Amino acid sequence: MSKYPPVSPRPELPEEFRFLCMLHNVGAINAERALTLEEIARWTDKKPSTLQEYLQKLKELGYVQPVTEGGTNKYHVSVMGIRKVLTLYS
Amino acid sequence: MKICLLSWEFPPRIVGGIARHVYGLAKALAKHGHDVGVVTLDFPGTPSYEEVEGFKVYRSKTEVGHPNFLTWAFLFNHFLEKELATANKDSNFDLIHIHDWLVAPAGIGFKQFLNKPLVCTMHSTEFGRSSLNNPDSYMIDGMEWWACFEATRVVVTTNSMKGEICGHFHVPGDKVDVIPNAIEVEKFNVEVDYRAIRGRFGIGDHEKLVLFVGRLVPQKGIEYLIRAMPRISWRFPEVKLVIVGEGWMRSHLEWLANQSGQSWRINFAGFISDKDLLALAKSADVMVVPSVYEPFGIVALEGMAAGTPVVASQVGGLAEVVEHDKTGVYVYPRSPDSIAWGIERILSDSGYRDWLIKNAHEAVNKRFSWEIVANQTIEVYKRVLGER
Repeated sequence: MSKYPPVSPRPELPEEFRFLCMLHNVGAINAERALTLEEIARWTDKKPSTLQEYLQKLKELGYVQPVTEGGTNKYHVSVMGIRKVLTLYS
Repeated sequence: MKICLLSWEFPPRIVGGIARHVYGLAKALAKHGHDVGVVTLDFPGTPSYEEVEGFKVYRSKTEVGHPNFLTWAFLFNHFLEKELATANKDSNFDLIHIHDWLVAPAGIGFKQFLNKPLVCTMHSTEFGRSSLNNPDSYMIDGMEWWACFEATRVVVTTNSMKGEICGHFHVPGDKVDVIPNAIEVEKFNVEVDYRAIRGRFGIGDHEKLVLFVGRLVPQKGIEYLIRAMPRISWRFPEVKLVIVGEGWMRSHLEWLANQSGQSWRINFAGFISDKDLLALAKSADVMVVPSVYEPFGIVALEGMAAGTPVVASQVGGLAEVVEHDKTGVYVYPRSPDSIAWGIERILSDSGYRDWLIKNAHEAVNKRFSWEIVANQTIEVYKRVLGER
């Protein structure tokens, strides 16, 4: 048996983090610039059901902040999320 | 001189080492009496304009975005150009100094429109980071070439990077200046409660702390350090590894730590405060820099300044920062065996360890202070302005 752990398959960036970068790049980085699910779907060309899954994961991690404006749910990248995006760009 | 530094990252917006580099350079240049303006991107909670440590900071908002990274980068360059115009109205800069390709379009625009000299520091290259494996990479490579072509002088931090720039981009050697990176040596002269800081990161009194600090990306070679842990622990069962930093590879590295059967002795600490990082660096038994590509290797320098012996891969700039068997220990890149050997070499001989620490401290003070780097940079600026 090898004394070293196995070499894993090529690591890849999880899809929800790619999505987080997109949300950051379109400018949804504070409450004033938060976007609705429909707006995010248009920007990212992704299905609302997929987006909801990503947003839920990212909310749990603290990277996305939901806000409610006039009864409509909107989302933006949190400060912690911006820091995360910046690590992904390096 | 009236100097404009242009960078897409500046504290608290920190991506890699450029933010701290630009901060240190701006502060040192201002200390020399120069009028320095830093133009950068905004970050939540920071003012659009402020004066810090004797220099001015202008932060630009990017009003229009795009999900694609490169398109977004071109868009924020447009907004940086607007901010540059504002800053230039205040200061009428003599020259502009850009840091990496991400701000090249704005910097080149400034040069061409205002007929002012452009200095470009290339901190790394896409060719070195990714070996140009997709169309975006090729485009970034082109932008880097363009920045070097347009610059009056190109600055790099090591001879290794000079070789890369001259070889890959065909930049004439006499257009490139080598000025090392620097650190604030004084900030390491603080008292630390070793027991408390080690305890907070799960290191007991009789355990050995091996420290890694850096972005969790392939070029940093962390997987080879993790893969070395089983061998190190045979000889030093009391060894523990703390990994400080974040990056897209984190979940993969956690998987690897689990596979190694050593996850209980590996702590992924994520981001920690500068204060904790300083204390941890000072209280570590060994700092390991196992990079497979490293244009400079500021972390090695910080380990040396903190009085912690450094084990570093013999690659790129690291081979110029660390002197083998004098200020640190070289190991082969991508080799868990070699990394384990280097760590064991230090942990097994306290006299050797102390000798490395003493030599490293002297080297840092002699070669890598901001005072020295600022003087060398000013000479480049004088040359650029004199050649006009």
